[in-house]
Amino acid sequence: MNELITKLKKGNVNILGLLLKIILIWFIVAFLIFPNINLLLDVFIKDGHFSTEAVTKIMKSKRAISSLQNSFILAFASIITVNIAGILTVLFTEYFDIKGAKILSLGFMTTLIYSGVVLVTGYKFVYGKTGIVTKVLMNFFPNMNPEWFVGFGAVLFIMTFSGTSNHMMFLTNAVRSLDYHTIEAAKNMGAPQWMILFKIVLPTMAPTIFATTILTFLAALSTMSGPLIVGGPDFQTINPMIKVFAGMQNSREIAALLAIILGLATSVLLIIMQKIEKKGNYISVSKTKAKLVKQKIENPVLNVVAHIIAYVMLIIYMLPILNVLVFSFTDGITIKTGEITANSFTLDNYKKLFQSPLAYKPYLVSVVYSLIAALLVALIAIAVARIVTKAKNKLDTLLEPAILIPWLLPSTMIALGLMMTYDAPRAILGNHVLIATPTIMLIAYVIIKIPFSYRMVRAAFIGLDGNMEEAAKVMGAKPFYTMRKVILPIIMPVVLAVIVLNFNSLLSEYDLSVFLYHPSYQPLGIVIKLATDETATVDAQAMAFVYTVILMIISTFALWLGHYDGLEKIKILLKKIRKG
Amino acid sequence: MIKFEEIEIKYGNFIAVENLNLEIKKGEFFTFLGPSGCGKTTSLRTLVGFITPSKGKIIVGDEDVTNLPVEKRNIGMVFQSYALFPTMTVYDNIAFGLKVKKVSKKKIDEKVREVAKKIKITDEQLKKNVSELSGGQQQRVALARAIVLEPDILCLDEPLSNLDAKLRIELRRELKRLQKELGITTLYVTHDQEEALTLSDRIAVFNNGYIEQVGTPYEIYNHSKSEFVCDFIGDINRLGKEILNEINSQLNTKFDTTKMGFIRLERCTEKKGEGFAKLNGKVIDLEFNGVLTKYTLLCNREKIKYLEKNDGFSFYNLNDNVDIYINPKDILQF
Repeated sequence: MNELITKLKKGNVNILGLLLKIILIWFIVAFLIFPNINLLLDVFIKDGHFSTEAVTKIMKSKRAISSLQNSFILAFASIITVNIAGILTVLFTEYFDIKGAKILSLGFMTTLIYSGVVLVTGYKFVYGKTGIVTKVLMNFFPNMNPEWFVGFGAVLFIMTFSGTSNHMMFLTNAVRSLDYHTIEAAKNMGAPQWMILFKIVLPTMAPTIFATTILTFLAALSTMSGPLIVGGPDFQTINPMIKVFAGMQNSREIAALLAIILGLATSVLLIIMQKIEKKGNYISVSKTKAKLVKQKIENPVLNVVAHIIAYVMLIIYMLPILNVLVFSFTDGITIKTGEITANSFTLDNYKKLFQSPLAYKPYLVSVVYSLIAALLVALIAIAVARIVTKAKNKLDTLLEPAILIPWLLPSTMIALGLMMTYDAPRAILGNHVLIATPTIMLIAYVIIKIPFSYRMVRAAFIGLDGNMEEAAKVMGAKPFYTMRKVILPIIMPVVLAVIVLNFNSLLSEYDLSVFLYHPSYQPLGIVIKLATDETATVDAQAMAFVYTVILMIISTFALWLGHYDGLEKIKILLKKIRKG
Repeated sequence: MIKFEEIEIKYGNFIAVENLNLEIKKGEFFTFLGPSGCGKTTSLRTLVGFITPSKGKIIVGDEDVTNLPVEKRNIGMVFQSYALFPTMTVYDNIAFGLKVKKVSKKKIDEKVREVAKKIKITDEQLKKNVSELSGGQQQRVALARAIVLEPDILCLDEPLSNLDAKLRIELRRELKRLQKELGITTLYVTHDQEEALTLSDRIAVFNNGYIEQVGTPYEIYNHSKSEFVCDFIGDINRLGKEILNEINSQLNTKFDTTKMGFIRLERCTEKKGEGFAKLNGKVIDLEFNGVLTKYTLLCNREKIKYLEKNDGFSFYNLNDNVDIYINPKDILQF
């Protein structure tokens, strides 16, 4: 303390930095630590004593127990199905010589531009009561139940084809970085094609497959929209159940305990995954890497089978999207009956989006929320990354694990923590009650995006040449000046990518929003989900189609900007324009 | 000009530099030489102000700067990685420090161009982004950026180590010319002994956080004060018991045969001199590099290397017998 005072007197303390640290610590305590501890206390402490009442309540609740069972059944089943689908998509587009691989690749990549509630809605419109697939099937089996697409099978089907994004992102890279010489060497030693695939190619990718497996397991465990929309009464999983229990005053601790169980499972798996990540991938030992040459499947029968599977998969991936796209241009009657005629097409739905406040309000709400949250998250990530990178004392390095807390927690637990903590005045928030205010959802949006953003920005900081800041310092620049003029411009591409990707994924957020949204400010995810309800009007459905199409366009653009060097390309273009 | 007084630098419990005492004169080109991890860069960074010593004082001029913030020390620094700002042009990199000091635009422009001219950076290059330059050009920018602020002291931390051999020699010459022209007190850190010898007015040889020897390049090379120094600088022959005995018996000298004797390669010669000892050996290895041939002889059971200029006449093959001569005054023992 004395040291601090003398430093203060000398003017050696960076007041701005100190203030920033205090704000960050307050934020972490108030929103990342306290609500979760409070949730635990709420569940396990009754009248000042440790109590297992909530556990007993769950054990007695059939619905709660079956939701737990269902979640794990779904998680284990989807590991198998998602890996099969995911590995096939990557092999078809990257490894085997399949005709039209580029089109396949684009089709399989569509899971990157729509997911969650929007995707499940899309599937329901295809396979649901009035869906095109159901209609086709009814032609063949007139007596079948039109509401056949319900329950475990339906949820697993959607999980399978929506869960391949991780394979598309990570496994594709793993295949591309295969050293082709290893394959040639195996051929040279007389290995047949299937042996090369199973003994050389797949084992090399094993660490990546393992990582995607854990991510798949987690996604299935905490899925919300799948079971909620197509699970039906018999197949509900933890998260939708948490939503139900949270809505009932005397079952809230069941909801909380379920969320804690989910959080625990998530934490354990992620920690295992990090341990494995640290062991690292197989590093290629070759000095000169050769680019992979696509393998033609030698057996003609297998070749035809592979092509058929690939294109059937493409149809499964594309159907919901095409369906949404087509129906977004049709009138109410067509949407209701599902029968398209020449007169069905109209631009009215799109016109409405721009003209009717009722129609564009959800968009406005989601855009504003997502944008503010994305910017706030970026600021927090930059501040913490910078402090941790420069950390000289233990307290500063502790910021990192603290800021990563939300990474271990499912969004339902975060939502419940906030709900059950700030439903009463708390000193740490100056006695403001947050529940039922528009702010609580914004805070939640910020919280869930922090870990991803922090990891990206921190990586950018690690990549910086540490001497750069020293160089600026020698030339007399103060830390804030250096930050603005030297560091920020360098890490800006990463920061912008993070902002764009966060903004995009928050636009159609559902899992958190469903707990926290303010009734007068319904975000897109909520509105789209409502459109799948039996009671939804045709208008609502039409608007959901339009929302989805626009979301996909925004997502494509965001993805291009964030992942595929779009920012760089725009910069080059601007440079060219400026030069004439 | 610069005084290190009883400096100790600690990283946690590890003592990186202990009891460093050193005085550097104004206008001097002074080099910290040593293997990696010897404390040379740490000492330099302490002078610049990035590290606060746990003990001792640093005096610059008459001022104790030990606790003075970096930016108030008026020291220019060139980093091993150059640390150029990649988002800025060459011009903006050089102008950075002047902008921080809120110098007028016109004055900045004048100064940047003046320094650019001195360091041979063209107007065309000034407009480029630093990433578009080659390594050697980037090095020039780093140097320009440091000297444009007219520092009292210039610190260079292995500035040439990222360049290829030819460019390194070229820039070395230029660095020396520039230093003499500006008359700026310069501290140079390197692990390259040739660089140290050719550039420096004086050298401090570091080893394990200590200074082994301070002196002119001539003194350091010819009058090395420790085994480490003579081993680290240049190539050296180690004379063992057998050869030392032989020399003692030929010349009546009193070399301590329980210790090693050391002699530079170029002091072993095929030409006989007054009072020289003669050693006979068989060629067991030779490296011909064009200008010189480095022979390794087996004398009794010890190896001796020596150099012979390529005069076009004498050239030995493997297994040839050769007589070489050694002046006992050239043998060092510690």
